[in-house]
Amino acid sequence: MDHSTHSTKESGDIPIPMTDSKSSKASSPLMPATTNKTAKQPPVSRLKRGLGVVDFILRICAIVTALAAATAMGTTSQQLPFFTQFFRFKADYDDLPAFTFFVIANATAGAYLVLSLPFSIVCIVRPHIIGARLMLLVFDTIAVPLVTAAASAAAAIVYLAHNGNSNANWVAICRQFDDFCQRVSGAVVASFITSLIFVVLVIVSAAALRRN
Amino acid sequence: MLFQHHLTTFVTSCKGLLQVNKSRKPKMAKAGRMEEGGVSKAPVPVGSNKGISVIDLVLRLVGIAGTLGAAIAMGTNEQTLPFFTRFVRFDAQYDDFRSFRLFVVVNAIVSAYFVLTIPLSIIHIMRSVARGTRILLIILDTIMLALLTAGASAAASIVYLAHNGNSSTNWLPVCQQYGDFCQGASGSLIGSFGGIVVLILTILLGAMALSRLAKRIV
Repeated sequence: MDHSTHSTKESGDIPIPMTDSKSSKASSPLMPATTNKTAKQPPVSRLKRGLGVVDFILRICAIVTALAAATAMGTTSQQLPFFTQFFRFKADYDDLPAFTFFVIANATAGAYLVLSLPFSIVCIVRPHIIGARLMLLVFDTIAVPLVTAAASAAAAIVYLAHNGNSNANWVAICRQFDDFCQRVSGAVVASFITSLIFVVLVIVSAAALRRN
Repeated sequence: MLFQHHLTTFVTSCKGLLQVNKSRKPKMAKAGRMEEGGVSKAPVPVGSNKGISVIDLVLRLVGIAGTLGAAIAMGTNEQTLPFFTRFVRFDAQYDDFRSFRLFVVVNAIVSAYFVLTIPLSIIHIMRSVARGTRILLIILDTIMLALLTAGASAAASIVYLAHNGNSSTNWLPVCQQYGDFCQGASGSLIGSFGGIVVLILTILLGAMALSRLAKRIV
């Protein structure tokens, strides 16, 4: 019989009983091994493709929020219509280094997301890629603390601006710079949403890497 | 056109990478079939994942030291100046700043998390083929990373203000009077940022281990 001769040829003396499906594979060694894999793997493939699509959609949402945060913060400037000899009454994002860092970090995150969109598409088209997914996971892991740091540094300043601090004699400035404070608070919220999306992106990449 | 050309070359190179992996699999699969007579699992070499798990455990221990030290250093941070007037207080505690309170709480949570995940890390050293717990660890690590970074950078922002002040909002630098308080706060920040680096490294190590498991098991 075909399968017994094939098995004795490769294993030596002992003929090993084989099931039908395996004997048909052993008897046609010229058939590529990929047909076995495509017959077994569509559910996993579909799941990974689904995760890739989720990844892509989340990236687009994160681009929107990151760029919205950067522009909302970067275009704030309020000048009060009065002034005295000692105090300035103009507020820019430039005046606070935390806000400058915020704009830079969110713009960087937005640019990185735009550049990572092709890799995300490749992960949808070829669901079993490991290299591209791992690279996306690495860069997303670096982006999480970057965006979170920028968002929470700005949030600390905004909290101070809203409430002040009596022990350090820091005056709450939001009562005068109302418009500035509102825009800045909105930008901080958008940045926190971006950071949350990055966390979900890391989890999705890790889940897609897990099943293979 | 050029983009499509680059994309197809990228895709074919990735296909080439994949086929390197696939060409290994039929040989191993045939060996498995002949040895076990029908079971298609190949024997899994576990050596390299053990190294990753050991480094992971060491990193977690370092992380405990960093975050616990930061929490304690900030929590015991207070300074009272030796003079006072009727109207103004001259003492500073970590309580007076909301960001520092958040910092202490977050660092305590993360150091407790590290302590609780040490048994999981030890299990990973002993059993290298533990995919479910690895991804759970990656998920929890990412959440803790976001939390720790939020706490640490809020405190860093306030410490920066205390050192330098801000002329346009008329916030005066407090560190010139409260020198010890500022030093204690800055020192505890270093421990916390060390904890952030540890968490990033553990996430990357976990992802590397996951991808190696994915490549090896047929």
